[in-house]
Amino acid sequence: MKNLARCATLCGSLMAALAQGLDPAALLQPPTDTWPTYNGDYTGRRYSPLQQIDAANVKSLTLAWAFQANSAAIKSTPLEVNGILYFTVPEQVWAIDARTGRQVWHYHYKKSDGDHIGHRGVAMWGNWLYFETPDAHLLCLDAKDGHVRWDIVLADVQLGYFATMAPLVVGNHVIAGVSGDATDIPGFLESVDPETGQQQWRWYTEPKPGEPGSETWPKNSDAITHGGGMTWMTGTYDPALHLLYWGTGNPNPVLAGDARPGDNLYTCSIVALNPDTGKLVWHFQPSPHDTHDWDAVETPVLFDADFGGKPRKLLAQASRNGFFFVLDRSSGEHLLTAPFIETNWTSGIDARGRPVALKEKEPHADGRLVYPGSDGATNWMSPSFDPPLGLFYVVARRVYSIFYYTATGKPEGWAGRDHDIWEESTLRALDYRTGQIRWNHELGPGESVAGILTTAGSLLFTGDAQSNLLVLDAATGKTLWHVNAGGSMVSSPMTYALDGRQYVVEGVGGVLYAWALPEGTALY
Amino acid sequence: MIRHIVYFCALAAFAQQHAPAPRGQKEFAQSCGFCHGEDATGARAPDLVRSPLVARDLGGDLIGPVIRGGRPDKGMPALPLPDNTIQDIVAYLHMRVGQAARSSHVGGDYPLERLLTGNAESGRAYFNGAGKCASCHSPTEDLAGIAKRYAPLYLEERILAPRPRPATVTVTTPSGEQVSGRLDHLDDFSVSLRDAAGWYHSWPRDRVKVSVHDPLQAHRDMLTKYTDADIHNLFAYLETLK
Repeated sequence: MKNLARCATLCGSLMAALAQGLDPAALLQPPTDTWPTYNGDYTGRRYSPLQQIDAANVKSLTLAWAFQANSAAIKSTPLEVNGILYFTVPEQVWAIDARTGRQVWHYHYKKSDGDHIGHRGVAMWGNWLYFETPDAHLLCLDAKDGHVRWDIVLADVQLGYFATMAPLVVGNHVIAGVSGDATDIPGFLESVDPETGQQQWRWYTEPKPGEPGSETWPKNSDAITHGGGMTWMTGTYDPALHLLYWGTGNPNPVLAGDARPGDNLYTCSIVALNPDTGKLVWHFQPSPHDTHDWDAVETPVLFDADFGGKPRKLLAQASRNGFFFVLDRSSGEHLLTAPFIETNWTSGIDARGRPVALKEKEPHADGRLVYPGSDGATNWMSPSFDPPLGLFYVVARRVYSIFYYTATGKPEGWAGRDHDIWEESTLRALDYRTGQIRWNHELGPGESVAGILTTAGSLLFTGDAQSNLLVLDAATGKTLWHVNAGGSMVSSPMTYALDGRQYVVEGVGGVLYAWALPEGTALY
Repeated sequence: MIRHIVYFCALAAFAQQHAPAPRGQKEFAQSCGFCHGEDATGARAPDLVRSPLVARDLGGDLIGPVIRGGRPDKGMPALPLPDNTIQDIVAYLHMRVGQAARSSHVGGDYPLERLLTGNAESGRAYFNGAGKCASCHSPTEDLAGIAKRYAPLYLEERILAPRPRPATVTVTTPSGEQVSGRLDHLDDFSVSLRDAAGWYHSWPRDRVKVSVHDPLQAHRDMLTKYTDADIHNLFAYLETLK
């Protein structure tokens, strides 16, 4: 906390001289009209207090501008700071005018190795942006012009690492995760100095032999040092508790449980870390001993609300395995586990709130029908939490898939694969106290990958899998507005206000659309 | 053409026999297998399939010196092997890494024997009984020879989700007119079809009544009812329909 305060003072004075940057101390106050981090704020709720666009006027929502990136599908959530939007695709960053959609600058990293599966965005500290590359470098760019200040190697791409995620700035820490599960490599989360890129700490997903958690891996085996658990989605942060919350990915070899008997901590887990030291404070594991690629990286959403008649500091995750979890985020105490979609892989919930996997639903040479498939009941697209309504929203998918196990000797890498048989998507509003589905809005066939934004206008922004952008009534799920955008949204919407006008930005393919009320509308 | 194919096959067979990786496999098993495991996945010495040094090696630039010089600090002796033998071992190790990377490949070449764990007789009983397959399909009509038409893996998957077949739809307009055809698109906002003459029509959803007949709905409904044994028995039965 001391570091943070010192940094806040330092940056406060820094900011006085440099008007366009982002004071990291400002992140401690939930923003009202900007979007300065991947999730908009530290809570991961993706709930904006903006309410200019509301149920009464949303019918007149119109296009403010569009930006053609002529790129791969935009999966990133733009930041909006001082009237500039910063967004990415693999290897590329754009700064565009948030009022007009005109390009300010464009940065293209070199043609790089590593998986180019997608990119989620950048982080900002002062005048600098932080950008991860497919070959697992972390770059610091000047937000003014995209000039590279430094370039460090987070992990070796030759070992199978790559990077897609938007880092998170906490005080004077830039916290960056990595991806890669085609090879059997250890996952980690790293914190670097925002000015120099020097490593401050690195937390490894797997404990060292002998440390707590190591008993969840086989002894006399190299499994624990090759156990996977990537940190590929942006976490959340509670300034009052000074805890960082992060989800970790699947263990390796991915589908081969027999190679690694035990729970395989801290893979497929939600971990609370001290952001100054990277030390583990508590953990909860949504998928112990995962054999289906069900990363628990979905946003750990933070909110304060009553639970069991007491006010609580809560953390909720709708996890890729089809279950919704609510924890006390001070202690990690488990409060609720409830399915948010039909699944067929568990025999129940254990005393610690963890789903118990059925052995016969592990991947097998002859193929096993499992739902959800590895793409998950949900995935990286953002959930949202609306505090006034007390509803947690998730894009939920019915994915029926057959899991095949291919290894004959010692399993290495994936050791199998699943093939989807059938896919449907639906959007669900969950009562956070019970996990009960308050309303359900079917999104049609296919796997929707659109994220969710809610606003104080009691609106919910998302897309379906048939190219429609949707605005729903957050209380009922009823459609209030829609447009065929000519492609599917595979990103998560965000919003901001400039000059008294609220914009909602949504990426569809390689295009960013900004929606707003028509100019000249009486804006209060 | 045939001559070319024969020549190509002969060449492939020659390459197979004399390729560096298969030669290296023998060399590796003899010289390295005792410690690193015959398939390089480790024994008393590390698994080399997941070795960072092997991952970073380019054409033997890192592996070669280790073989030649050993790792005395870790108990590995120097192996004074000829350069071409070392190159073969290097090729073998890279092949093993490649095999791990392709361990997620599940396709048309997936071996039948791995899938064939069910009982064909039970599969036939399920086909005619609980599975209700016989209400739409016949082993002597539409499914005659089905096992010859699909690779085993795709047959198993098509049982659960046949190749998409267009649903048919009848749209009733506000005036009461009915238009039927092959469903083209349906979402919350619009419906479109192709009529018998091949013409395209579309309507806003909120102005018309839509009645869809999807021949695959029965397959969809079964997904939550099958056991894995049902699937494997059914597969074993359909595999007999050659």
